[in-house]
Amino acid sequence: MLDLLWNGLVNVAQWKYLLPLFAGTFIGVIGGSLPGVTITMTVIVVLPFTYGLDPLAGLAAMTGVYVGGSTGGLIACCLLGIPGSPASIATTFDGFPMARNGEPGRAIWLGVWASVWGGLLGALFLVFLTGPLAAIALEFGPWEYFSLFVLAMAMVAGLTESSLLKGLISTAIGLLITVVGHDPIGSVPRFTFGSAFIGGGFPFLPVLIGIFAFAQIMTDLEKLNSPRGQAVQSLVGIRLERFSHLKVNLEIFKQPFLLAWATIVGLIIGILPAIGGSASSVMAYDQAKKFSKTPERFGKGHPEGIIASEASNNANVSGSLMTIMAFGIPGDAVTAVMLGAMTIHGIQSGPLFISQNPDIAYGIYAAYILAHPCMLLICLALMPLMLRVTSVRMAVLAPVVLVLCVVGAYALNNTMQSVYVLLMFGVVGYVLVKLGFPLAPLILGLILGDQIEINLVRAIMTDGNPWLFLTRPISGLLLLAAAASVGLAIWQHWRHQARVAEEEPDF
Amino acid sequence: MSIGRDGIAGLILLAISLFLLFKSFQLPSLPIVPVGPGFYPAIVLSFMAAASALLVLQDLMKRRPAAAAGESDAPRRNYRLVVIAFAIVGAYVVLLPLVGFRVATVLFVGALQAALDRPRTVRQWGVLAAIALGTAVVSYFIFERYLLVLLPRGAWTGF
Repeated sequence: MLDLLWNGLVNVAQWKYLLPLFAGTFIGVIGGSLPGVTITMTVIVVLPFTYGLDPLAGLAAMTGVYVGGSTGGLIACCLLGIPGSPASIATTFDGFPMARNGEPGRAIWLGVWASVWGGLLGALFLVFLTGPLAAIALEFGPWEYFSLFVLAMAMVAGLTESSLLKGLISTAIGLLITVVGHDPIGSVPRFTFGSAFIGGGFPFLPVLIGIFAFAQIMTDLEKLNSPRGQAVQSLVGIRLERFSHLKVNLEIFKQPFLLAWATIVGLIIGILPAIGGSASSVMAYDQAKKFSKTPERFGKGHPEGIIASEASNNANVSGSLMTIMAFGIPGDAVTAVMLGAMTIHGIQSGPLFISQNPDIAYGIYAAYILAHPCMLLICLALMPLMLRVTSVRMAVLAPVVLVLCVVGAYALNNTMQSVYVLLMFGVVGYVLVKLGFPLAPLILGLILGDQIEINLVRAIMTDGNPWLFLTRPISGLLLLAAAASVGLAIWQHWRHQARVAEEEPDF
Repeated sequence: MSIGRDGIAGLILLAISLFLLFKSFQLPSLPIVPVGPGFYPAIVLSFMAAASALLVLQDLMKRRPAAAAGESDAPRRNYRLVVIAFAIVGAYVVLLPLVGFRVATVLFVGALQAALDRPRTVRQWGVLAAIALGTAVVSYFIFERYLLVLLPRGAWTGF
């Protein structure tokens, strides 16, 4: 295994892979540092560039975006008090107060170094645990896969902040989109209404890009000319104070348990399907506060808060990569785009991915590992430039991003049909957001829809007994966990309602 | 008892899911396969219909404040800009196959920038034009020349 990893590292260290990795990491750091631009958005922007590249070069660029984006978000967190990306949300709690206390450099670099160490620790798990996880996944039959997908969807719908019902409906809409077109067994057209336009179904990536990118950009445009836009401008004049990188590192390694625990929390959240970096950042922050000897200092510029949040969100990337490589399920929307890119290049992810494509699998490990020194170099060399870039106006950013979205959709199969799908789902995504429907469950439904149907039909074709879904131990356990997840969400919702009713008595 | 935004959304989704559920029952069954092409969509649509009906019910039972108090505290949203932006993107999508990527992109980037942040001086107009032209030229060279990714050709312009 170490031989393969070494080969992967040597391979990715070649210019044809290192350059896309470096460029991806750079774009990721910039995208992550721009408030309102998420890592998913950045990876969508990078997607069309990967079409013309070697598969590993494309995946290396996307891995770079993922790692760079997870770190880049902390710049706006520390300097503006606004998360540059949702994955850095908990960094704001202590990064911003520390910067306001006159230590913006310390705040940023604590985060950058914690990201590096957390990410590299996560790489250990990625390299050594993905294979065993894939071996477990190989034991899965269609019943287990079906139940695993149901669990993933139940968890995401259950985590929806606004309403469990809306989360479930959103999941169903995602599943419904995948049903349109020919059925996978007999190629019977479904819900096409005789139209050639939707006869082949909706292509996955234009739907994903349309829903995600348009919903985000249009929501940002609503807020144009708000005070936040002015705050972004204020970054230009900021100067970081002088500080010692050695001291910052000592500060991190003085608390090895905190670093290790935050990494493990990030990793576990990353492995769980479709729960993103924001959950890992907040959860690791919460854990750090609970275990801390000085919990009262949290929220006032405590280094432990920054270390926990940033180590965790980078480790989360390794967890997401593990899920996509071992199970073929995207850990979040970023890995969903990566999965789409793999499909374009004819690579099938799943339990056999590592054994069938060792060059690419170990290349991805290597790209993930090398992305961290790349990110560090970029931050060291270009921090002043990044402070300027974070002030790019939305009026400039939005058109350029939309052009890249259109290119990304068109270049999939060189037809305008994909662009029409992009626009159509752009409108759908925006309307759903305005109606308060969360997009994460919809995207997961969209990603898993085909696989759920195939595994369900395959299970029934193998054995017509529907009870097998419950009586096969792993499948039964997964379904039980799915029911528990929905049950827990309902219970939390009721508890929240009861608390609100107590706090706001109806006079 | 009055119906709110969630209730209306729920009703629309309920109508769509019931209509498609009806359609799924009309799908032909296959001779060898134990489950037909309508089996899985029927499960998804039944689930969606049930959840939508519950959403309507939940909305009808929700207690609503008598007046929309606190609405003035909500941040002002510029929906006009969103409509304009969607219209410009729509025009871009229509123009792409007619005038080709290069011309359509210059027009699109320029128009959207002007709509989002109208330039006031000649210099600002110059910057706007440079960004519009730069986006089209740089993306054309990177995609078509370097990455060999084809971009839309214009039926009217021929390039």
